[in-house]
Amino acid sequence: MQSVKINNNLSVNVISMTKLKTTSVGVYIHRPLCESDASYNALLPPVLKSGNKLCPDRESVAKYLENLYGASMGATTLKRGEDHIIYFDAETISDCYAPEGEKLVSDLLRIVLSSIFEPVEINGTFDEKIVEQEKVNAIDKLDAFVNDKRSYASSRCQQETARGTNFAILRYGTREGLSSITAKSLYDYYKSIITSSVIDIYICGDADAAAAAEVVREYTDKLSFTDAEIPKTEIISRLQGDVHKVTEEMDVAQGKLALGFLTNIKPSDSDYDALIVFNSVFGAGAHSKLFNNVREKLSLCYYASSQVERAKGIITVNAGIEFENFKKAYDEILVQLEEIRKGNISDDEFNASVSALVNTFNSYYDDQRAMATFSLVEKVNGTNRTVEECIERVKRVTVDEVAAAANKLQLDTVYFLKGKENA
Amino acid sequence: MELTFRKNELTGEVMYSGVHKSGLGIYIIPKTGYSGTYAIFGTRYGSVDSDFVVPGETEVTHVPDGIAHYLEHKMFDQPDGSNVFDRFSKYGGNANAFTSFNMTAYLFSATSNFEENLATLLDYVQSPYYTEETVQKEQGIIGQEIRMYDDNPGWKLFFNFINCLYQNHPVKKEIAGTVESISKITADYLYKCYNTFYNLSNMSLVIAGNIDVDRAVKVIDDGIKNNEPFTEPIKKLYPDEPKELASAYAERSMAVSAPMFMLGWKDNDVNKTGAELLKKNIEITILLRMLFGKSSAIYKKLYDAGLINSTFSTDYTMQPDYGFTSLDGESRNPEKVFEVIMDEIEEIRKSGLCEEDFSRTKKVMWGSYIRSHNDIEEYAGLYMQLLFMGIDYFDFYEVYKTVTFEDIKARFNEHFRRDYAALSVVKPV
Repeated sequence: MQSVKINNNLSVNVISMTKLKTTSVGVYIHRPLCESDASYNALLPPVLKSGNKLCPDRESVAKYLENLYGASMGATTLKRGEDHIIYFDAETISDCYAPEGEKLVSDLLRIVLSSIFEPVEINGTFDEKIVEQEKVNAIDKLDAFVNDKRSYASSRCQQETARGTNFAILRYGTREGLSSITAKSLYDYYKSIITSSVIDIYICGDADAAAAAEVVREYTDKLSFTDAEIPKTEIISRLQGDVHKVTEEMDVAQGKLALGFLTNIKPSDSDYDALIVFNSVFGAGAHSKLFNNVREKLSLCYYASSQVERAKGIITVNAGIEFENFKKAYDEILVQLEEIRKGNISDDEFNASVSALVNTFNSYYDDQRAMATFSLVEKVNGTNRTVEECIERVKRVTVDEVAAAANKLQLDTVYFLKGKENA
Repeated sequence: MELTFRKNELTGEVMYSGVHKSGLGIYIIPKTGYSGTYAIFGTRYGSVDSDFVVPGETEVTHVPDGIAHYLEHKMFDQPDGSNVFDRFSKYGGNANAFTSFNMTAYLFSATSNFEENLATLLDYVQSPYYTEETVQKEQGIIGQEIRMYDDNPGWKLFFNFINCLYQNHPVKKEIAGTVESISKITADYLYKCYNTFYNLSNMSLVIAGNIDVDRAVKVIDDGIKNNEPFTEPIKKLYPDEPKELASAYAERSMAVSAPMFMLGWKDNDVNKTGAELLKKNIEITILLRMLFGKSSAIYKKLYDAGLINSTFSTDYTMQPDYGFTSLDGESRNPEKVFEVIMDEIEEIRKSGLCEEDFSRTKKVMWGSYIRSHNDIEEYAGLYMQLLFMGIDYFDFYEVYKTVTFEDIKARFNEHFRRDYAALSVVKPV
């Protein structure tokens, strides 16, 4: 990776990956996740992408991208721990595949940068019509959170487990927060953050770092920046009390059970890799204990899996079940955890769990976005490891270390989405 | 086994292909510099194939709906009671399978032990093992899979939409069947379907990624079991499908935040394969972008009126014997979206399409073709899907370059006809 520091806040990182036929551009603007700003962060991306100095409206932006052989440019927010990231994701076919020798990558970079640094403004405010439109869309998006029951249940469980911390704030913002934003207040917010946030630009594919940095400077040289830092996230630590139980009722055919555990391990801890291997043994794939017992042995569900939220120290387990099988599934999930705590992991299970992780890490080498995201998350978590180091670290983990990590796990929240009583 | 080598100068891609004496079609796509490899082993057999005549027989065989998908699940059981996933896991392979309307496929991706993983794939897909007991056990798991789809509004929206378009074609049926239909599935039925559709002459293997071709060929030669290729095709029977819709509108209520809609047109210019089918696909895909893409007047009108939001998207689904375009998204007023679109289409029919829009959106198709080579999983999967329709995706350019503005105008008039348009809506409870 070649990195060029434009100033204390802004860096351009180029990862060469010419075996792929595209080049992707990712811009990550880091903001702390907090109640007062979440809605502003959520609304900014769609407004910024609606028009800029290069292309004043949505239609001309779309035509510009089509002329780059259908380049894409999306804008949204991500949540990595309590880092609320305003994210532009763009991609074009690489210059060597342009039939007429066009400079597609720099043209793509220009429209991304123009959207971020030169959005359309009129007398110190955004276009009111666009802001109002996008407010409606942003509220729709927030409301649509409930539509996919599987991810809804999983996120709700995570949210309940993180209760009382900023991590419980949704990346979509809140209805009240979004409603109260005006074209003027959004523009003021934009001006207040754009030069006082850490901004990471990742270009992955076929690009030259120095040339890319030159283009970036054209857009930023006239701005004056205030030094900023990447928001930090603390893992949750809470005394073991009664398990926090949450039940919701909805008009659904299948129940969704989700368990939230505190890991008590943070990314910089020495037993972090053991935690990652633990999660693989427990529920991350068809080799895992949850898949083979809750699904295959007991036929209770189609899916039963576990995920780690690394920065916040949460593991969630999710399963879709018949309502009346709540207790059976709950008991079996805990039985499987207990097995790992006792170190009852066969060699095959253990090796398969490590191999699956190694396979995932290696696959990043064939995926531009995964590679950029990996590098970014390492930076956000402050661990700054390479893919190779991560592979070496998980390979060194032992069964005893996995059992020890499992013993640190603390059941915190039990979430159940069930059907309406008399529906 | 003799393989033919090809190189595409425009994309830099290479391919080795041939037919094994068992009848299995082999396609190997080495990709320089990739760390991963992907293999997909598929059969021309999907959820629409419930009535067929086995080669050599005269009687029609009828099997319960959902059986292709059920069979896919049961392929993972092994005669010794073990599970195939365990074997892949041992080699670090990530295995999966899927069933669609027209194909069933088994696949894995791996960044190590490619040969062992490939041998495992070949072995288990050629080793059926079904007993009444193991067949029974799957009812619970698939029952929950069906339930999961019951709560999926996008899935329900889609099936209600194709149920509007089709009166008889089995594409209108749920891929996994129903809890009732799968209860009739027996080990005998599974063997009957397996012995018919999993004859290697009805199947293909596509491999892409970091591959040593000679070693892959050796694994394939060693891994293919005895197979007598069919000398005549499997006769698949589909009922006659009239041009007319089954209905123009469907609606249901579910736990969603805002109304969701899917609308589109039934494609009645069917029974095409190969280059002809690919050309139609290119024409319709270009038209969808010209008419409804983000740079179009219709998109702007709907977006500015608050009738659609960024969830709006378009798609064209095709097979030789059926096809349809679909536009979907969220809207406060789906009926109004439908009305505006139908009116605008009539306006364009009078005023004509714009040639500049055509040239610009045609470029987008070239970009998406180039881009489709990136991800070996997507590329191999797409390659196989098109192969089963007689399309050679490797030489996409040969067809792409023939598409003219005249073709687009003719296709517009043929496809976008009000009589063949339907609307499906899922409303909040």
